[in-house]
Amino acid sequence: MPDDSFASARAGKPAGFAALVRLHQSLVYGIALRMLMDRALAEDLSQEVFLQLHQNIRAIESHEHLAFWLRRVTAHRAIDRLRQNRRIETIALEDDAEIFAATPDDDPLLRKHLHGLILQLAPVARAVVLLRYQEDLDPVEIARTLEIPVNTVKSHLKRSLSALREKLSGVACVSL
Amino acid sequence: MSEDLDNTLRKALRRVDPGEDFTARVLARVAAEARSESSGDMRSANRSVSRLVWLPVALAASLVLAVVVTYEWQARRERAGLEARDQVIEALRVTSEKLDLAYQIVNSPPPSRTPDDAGA
Amino acid sequence: MKIATKCFAVPFLWAVLSLPALAAPLPGRLLLPDFSALGPKATESVSITLDAPLLATAARFLDGGDPDQRAVKDMIGGLRGIYVKSYTFEKAFAYATADIDAVRKQLATPGWQQIVQVRSGKPQTAVDIFVFQVQGESGGLAIIATEPREFTIVNIVGAIDLDKLHKLEGRFGIPKLPSTAGAGVQNPAK
Repeated sequence: MPDDSFASARAGKPAGFAALVRLHQSLVYGIALRMLMDRALAEDLSQEVFLQLHQNIRAIESHEHLAFWLRRVTAHRAIDRLRQNRRIETIALEDDAEIFAATPDDDPLLRKHLHGLILQLAPVARAVVLLRYQEDLDPVEIARTLEIPVNTVKSHLKRSLSALREKLSGVACVSL
Repeated sequence: MSEDLDNTLRKALRRVDPGEDFTARVLARVAAEARSESSGDMRSANRSVSRLVWLPVALAASLVLAVVVTYEWQARRERAGLEARDQVIEALRVTSEKLDLAYQIVNSPPPSRTPDDAGA
Repeated sequence: MKIATKCFAVPFLWAVLSLPALAAPLPGRLLLPDFSALGPKATESVSITLDAPLLATAARFLDGGDPDQRAVKDMIGGLRGIYVKSYTFEKAFAYATADIDAVRKQLATPGWQQIVQVRSGKPQTAVDIFVFQVQGESGGLAIIATEPREFTIVNIVGAIDLDKLHKLEGRFGIPKLPSTAGAGVQNPAK
């Protein structure tokens, strides 16, 4: 029960904290993995985020606050990490099926273009796309999470989608 | 198309689970940090007694504060520098986009002439 | 009395002589209107102001070991300012052309030369590109692009090499131009 685990974690009980980690690990790891495009780095960053949560759990007021806090801290840490080491972005993964969820009707070409698009995006733009499509946040919520203007969020979304459409339409022409 | 793309992106970018052992690894790290902090506390408790002999507490506090402030200032400067770098790239992107727009207009096919236009 | 006048005259003369230098904008720099009032009406906006010190700061944070970042660093090395204003609206012609015209007037002053003027009827789109020349050398670039739902003004102060910009295409999200920017684009001056 999320409510129990939250109260339990705040009370300093390891079982409560463990339940919170299990509940939110895919949120944190998903953002970290798609930002850093490297499993080991994503794992490391995700652990750091939960470590920081453990140290600050008493400052978290509610479940909603917790989700907001996790998204914000994960995104900011990933952005800082990317800015410090741009080389992370050029590591191409041989198997990107984990990063972009494979489905029964999976399109490997789409996955490849998505991978390429994400790699091309600057750190903040990348975070905007992830918060929109992985976390289903609206532009106002994204702006609050990343502490940037709403118009900047909309601009990043527009450009990123435009670039992806362009890549996909190019492929469609070739396949004819 | 736009809605299809949105749905496709949502499907492709669903949350990713790090695996069953992730929680255990996090807890292990939390425990390790807690141990590290408590042993650090014990060591510093022993040292503080001798420090009081050598260094006034007020001076030590000032030094710590100076280090923290310097670190904060450097961190802020670094953030500003990285933000400036991102803005340069964004500016170059916008510039290139508009040059591309000019190119597209010049190279777009002329409007087709209907028979009615021929005498115009 | 004489001493007082003398003491007063020197700083006064210095102030008067230095005023033109203080008042004159950097050659190649446009005075862009403050479009902040458009912010609430716009669906997207980009406002970038990078003067020489900020460009120098940005250059320090570009990794010289990375070929892409080195190319950007190389490109901005000779620049003294980059200024961008870009606004997108939901409705067509939601912005006043008077502000854009005020910028165009500055581009009619000595030193600026229009090298590109393209118009498209559908949709009503205009792109004007100007260069600022100082003793035959490029000292700045200005682009004004207007579309029904968007306008963009770019002002780059200093010698910008468009061939270098072309080489950055496909990286950092910079769109790929089919050929060197300017090639194939008619120059109305010729």
